[in-house]
Amino acid sequence: MNAEELFKQKKKLKKLARRGKKEEEASLGMTSLMDIVSIIVVYLLKSYASDPVLIQPISEQKIPMSKADSPIQNGDAVYVSSKELMFNEKKLVALKDGELDENAIKNKHLIQPLYDALVEEAEKSKQMAEQLQQDWEARLIIIGDQKLKFKTLVDIMYTAGRAEYVEYAFCVIKKG
Amino acid sequence: MARLRKNEEIAVEEANVLPVMNIMFLLIPALLLAMEVASMAAISVSPPKFSAAPSEKKEEDKEDKKQLKLKVFVMEDGFRVSAADQQEGAEAGKAADSNAPTIPLTRDKDGCQQRETDLFGGPRSGCYDFTALEAKAKEYKAGYPHESIVTLSAENTIPMQVLINTMDAMRGTDCKLMVEGDELPPECYFFQPIVEAGAG
Repeated sequence: MNAEELFKQKKKLKKLARRGKKEEEASLGMTSLMDIVSIIVVYLLKSYASDPVLIQPISEQKIPMSKADSPIQNGDAVYVSSKELMFNEKKLVALKDGELDENAIKNKHLIQPLYDALVEEAEKSKQMAEQLQQDWEARLIIIGDQKLKFKTLVDIMYTAGRAEYVEYAFCVIKKG
Repeated sequence: MARLRKNEEIAVEEANVLPVMNIMFLLIPALLLAMEVASMAAISVSPPKFSAAPSEKKEEDKEDKKQLKLKVFVMEDGFRVSAADQQEGAEAGKAADSNAPTIPLTRDKDGCQQRETDLFGGPRSGCYDFTALEAKAKEYKAGYPHESIVTLSAENTIPMQVLINTMDAMRGTDCKLMVEGDELPPECYFFQPIVEAGAG
């Protein structure tokens, strides 16, 4: 801004002060932006609320693909990748080449750390269901890996059965 | 009531929306991160002892109908299919013939051999013939329209994706269970899988 422009601005301000008016300030119109953002947030909240179980694959996990269309029902989720078995965000057992660590298995099929965790979770869920006067669904959602071996899958199902889970669901990615 | 002077204007206070906007902008990435990118579904599976526990009425109804007892055993070299405790393609006079799969591996098509090589982590001589398995399921369904249960088992090394594909083939690839109405579509064959260990 040069001296002439500065002088003109000062003169303008003095003129406005004489007339008892304040300098007009340009303001940013936020209403339309607010509308857009509100719509996006409502849409996202609605889609978030419609999922009973939030599935977030763990690292090194490729969930199998299927043409099944049944929605995922409420239940406790077990994540099994090619390297680890996780429950309640805790790594319970390590896997090598899709097979469980031998030290974690008892009686040929029982995965001891998973069994302990499932029994604890089942107790909590039962108490919760009792307080809400509902039946405990006893459902386990197995979020496995494409390469997960059948033997490991059977061991998980056997362990869950021992921990009183009676319904199982394999989580898959919808194909086509 | 005092009149306003000509030069005086009513000062309108504008709501400060900036804090709200800040929260909204933080909510968007948080919700986007929490959202599922891929569309998920579930395949309900029953263990052997709990699956075959229908109501008493259903049990009575079924007494009159012939039981199919369809079993599919996934082996590294194909599928072994048996119904009513008789394996298909078994040698004469034998209930089962563990050496021969009912549906052997087929030739490579659409790169399926490479996909299966990746899944198994070793070379494969062919691909699983899911089309033939589905045709077999259709054939059985035509004979036993009231049946919907299939018992699945596999060798220890079979990957989960192959098991899921087997379930898809037995259910029927065009089967949509989430349709309105009580009647199940005819393209749904065996949609109640029982997973059994070491059956065969």
